Amino acid sequence: MARFVFAVAALALANPAVAQFAKNPFSLGVDEGAVGHVGRLGIWLLQQQAHFYQALRLGVEAAQKSPSAIFWLAATAFGYGVFHAAGPGHGKAVIAFYMLANERALKRGLVLSGLAALLQALVAIALVGVAAVLLGLTAQKMAAATHWVEIAAYLCIAALGAWLVWRKGAAFLAACRAPRLPASSRFQCDNLGDDLAHGLRCAHCVAPDPALLGDHFSWRSSAVTVVAAGARPCSGALLVLVFAFAQGAFSIGVWATLAMAAGTALTTGALAASAVLAKGATTKILGAQTRRAEIFARLLELVAAAVVLFLGLSLLAGLFVSSRLWTL
Amino acid sequence: MNLFKAFVAAGLAAIGLCPLSANAHPHVWVAARAQILFAPDGKIAAIRHSWTFDEMYSAFAAQGLGKDGKPPTKEELAPLAKTNVESLAEFQYFTLAKTGPKAYEFGEPRDYELEADDKKLVTLRFTLPLKEPVSAKKPFTFMVYDPSYFVDIELEKADPVTLKDAPSGCSLTVLRPDPLVGGDKAKLDESFFTGLAPGANFGVKLATRTIVACP
Repeated sequence: MARFVFAVAALALANPAVAQFAKNPFSLGVDEGAVGHVGRLGIWLLQQQAHFYQALRLGVEAAQKSPSAIFWLAATAFGYGVFHAAGPGHGKAVIAFYMLANERALKRGLVLSGLAALLQALVAIALVGVAAVLLGLTAQKMAAATHWVEIAAYLCIAALGAWLVWRKGAAFLAACRAPRLPASSRFQCDNLGDDLAHGLRCAHCVAPDPALLGDHFSWRSSAVTVVAAGARPCSGALLVLVFAFAQGAFSIGVWATLAMAAGTALTTGALAASAVLAKGATTKILGAQTRRAEIFARLLELVAAAVVLFLGLSLLAGLFVSSRLWTL
Repeated sequence: MNLFKAFVAAGLAAIGLCPLSANAHPHVWVAARAQILFAPDGKIAAIRHSWTFDEMYSAFAAQGLGKDGKPPTKEELAPLAKTNVESLAEFQYFTLAKTGPKAYEFGEPRDYELEADDKKLVTLRFTLPLKEPVSAKKPFTFMVYDPSYFVDIELEKADPVTLKDAPSGCSLTVLRPDPLVGGDKAKLDESFFTGLAPGANFGVKLATRTIVACP
């Protein structure tokens, strides 16, 4: 067991998102992690994102001079949101693994990712709105405030993961213990040679009732997911807002941030949808109605739940090892 | 339960291997200048950095400072300058100085300040002494980059590096890599610079290398 714990800890630390313990000296309070090994395509993507980012700044300046430029700014911000969310980040991971673990309805998945993106924008707007516009705090104090929001978001991820593991673990055990066939049909199944047609049909009666396995949609877990995935604002939005405010046009920054959220929602929504569809396809291929497939599906969900928990814990571990936590 | 263990292991491996936050594409841009300071005995003693931030980060740095729309003063920016320089220590000051394969250590940075110009662009300046002054008789190489690539540091186009109090006959070469060309040179860079910061080796690929050689 100790060896297992050690292995988990080692893996958590090997994660490049966590490996960089110290906050960047020029961080805005949220850790954006490090760029690991990337190929040529990766470099090209980074350059595209950088172009979008520079265009954002020019857009804010232009929108200030002529109101019509705000549409161009919104389009740029939307594109930045799409590109920025395309890289793997923990918010996306939370949504995707939550979908794998808990969700079967495509529409709900899309709504959840949309809400998470909106929340992310609102948190950034609220942070800059209160800290910079109302209180006039300095960069250092703003970074500290943002850092606390980040800690809260990571706690949320860990809590969501723990809840999912609890629920999915119970569902998995229930699936394992689900009553086998009534003795009579089991007897018939065991004699496939006698009645092959019935033997095939027989599989239908072994699946446990999904309603018994905790598959109910929960508003509470959905809300926690939205918070876990969306509470941490992105540095890009914070910078655009602060920059717009410095130009005396905070509202332009707000519009840009909301457009950015729409772009982010597009990408995370696509990801959430593919998670739900992949799960559906897997179940279909395995034959949804067999007992073995049910157990397998529950196992997959439990693993996905464990991934969410692990993600939250390793992000928190990264913060706690970072000496910067104590200096704030 | 072996299947279960295998799946948990696979899930953990996947999360351990995939860079979850690879989207640290630069959020901060820096136009950098460096001055190599020579000691009276002709050895290289320190590097004086001058990093000018982009408009957005400058706005962030100046947030809540400066009165009546004026740029903030050096005094107002002093606490942020201190925090910046102190937290740079954990990142080896984004500076790598070498002779051949040997990397040098740095002492405490001194004379640091943040200054905002009339366009409100903020510049961080600090002097980074080498722990021991170094002879430049063998080519002395240095690079300035953020290994995590949160900050994109590019040397200024005009006069990016200057020498101060250098013995006569010292030469200065600035090599700018093209990341999209890559190939053998990129491989060379990689083998030359690996082992700097684990898992964070991207910034180096885009870093400009400066070589100083004295007779």
